[in-house]
Amino acid sequence: MSDQQGFVSIEDELPLSGNALAELMQDVLTKGKVFRFRANGFSMSPFIQDDDLISISPLLDAPPKMGEVVAFTNPERGKLIVHRIVSKDQNAYLLLGDNHPDKKYDSVLVGNILGRVSRVERDGKVLRLGLGPEKYLIALFSRARLLQPLIESLAPLIRPFWRVLL
Amino acid sequence: MDLIQLQGVYRPSEDIVAREIEGELIIVPLTSGFGDMEDELYTFNETGKAIWKLLDGQRDLAAVVVALTEDFNAPAEDLEQDVLGLVAELVNRGMLVAAAYV
Repeated sequence: MSDQQGFVSIEDELPLSGNALAELMQDVLTKGKVFRFRANGFSMSPFIQDDDLISISPLLDAPPKMGEVVAFTNPERGKLIVHRIVSKDQNAYLLLGDNHPDKKYDSVLVGNILGRVSRVERDGKVLRLGLGPEKYLIALFSRARLLQPLIESLAPLIRPFWRVLL
Repeated sequence: MDLIQLQGVYRPSEDIVAREIEGELIIVPLTSGFGDMEDELYTFNETGKAIWKLLDGQRDLAAVVVALTEDFNAPAEDLEQDVLGLVAELVNRGMLVAAAYV
C-alpha cells in the first residue's frame, strides 16, 4: 500500500517486544475484545507450542481459576508470558510453564493478570487438550513437578493418538 | 460516503486500538470481536502520525491544518489536501468516525 496517503498497512510480521505486545493486548482486552497472536517459545509445550495462535480473552467479572492458562507481564524480564495457574494464595497466583519443571514459580498479583487463554490453534485446527476440565489435573501434576515425567512416560502410548487427543 | 469538509470534526473509532510503540503508531482494527495480530495492521508516516494525533473529536479539520502549519514547513493548501485525503481514507476504512460538524 502506498505511503502517500499517510499510512501504510503492515504486511510483514511486526517485531514487537514483550512489553509492547502486552500494551496492545491490554488495550484490546480493555475494550472487551479478544487478542489473538502467535506464541513464541516452548515453555507451555506440548499444550501450547511455538508458533501456535493463542487467543486471550478478557477476565471480565470472572477471576482466573486454578489450572487456567493466563497472560501476564514479568516486569523484571520485560516479557509477556503465558503460563498456567498451579496455585493461589490470598493475594497472588503462582504460575508455571507446563514445560518448566525446574524453574521457580512466577508469583503474580491478581490485578496483574491480563487475560485468560480461550483458544489455541495449530496448523489451522483448534486444540482442545489443556484448556478443558483436565486443566486442573495438569496444574496439580505441574505443581508437583511431575507433569513432564508423566508426559514422557506416557508418550510412547499416546503418540499414535496425539492428533486426536489434541 | 459523506464528503469530508474542513468544518468536520473527527475522532478515532471505537473499533480500533491505536498505540504509539517504540516510536511507531500502530493501529489494530477490532473486527468480529478480535484484535488480531495476524490480520492487517496499520502504521503512519510522520505526517500521518501528526494528523492522527490532532483528530481528537474536539477540533475541526481547519484547526488541524492550522496546527500542522506550525509544525511542518509546507503550504497550507498542501496540508489541507493531506488532511482531507487521509481523513477520507480513514473514514472509509472505519478507523475514524465523525464527531460533529461545527
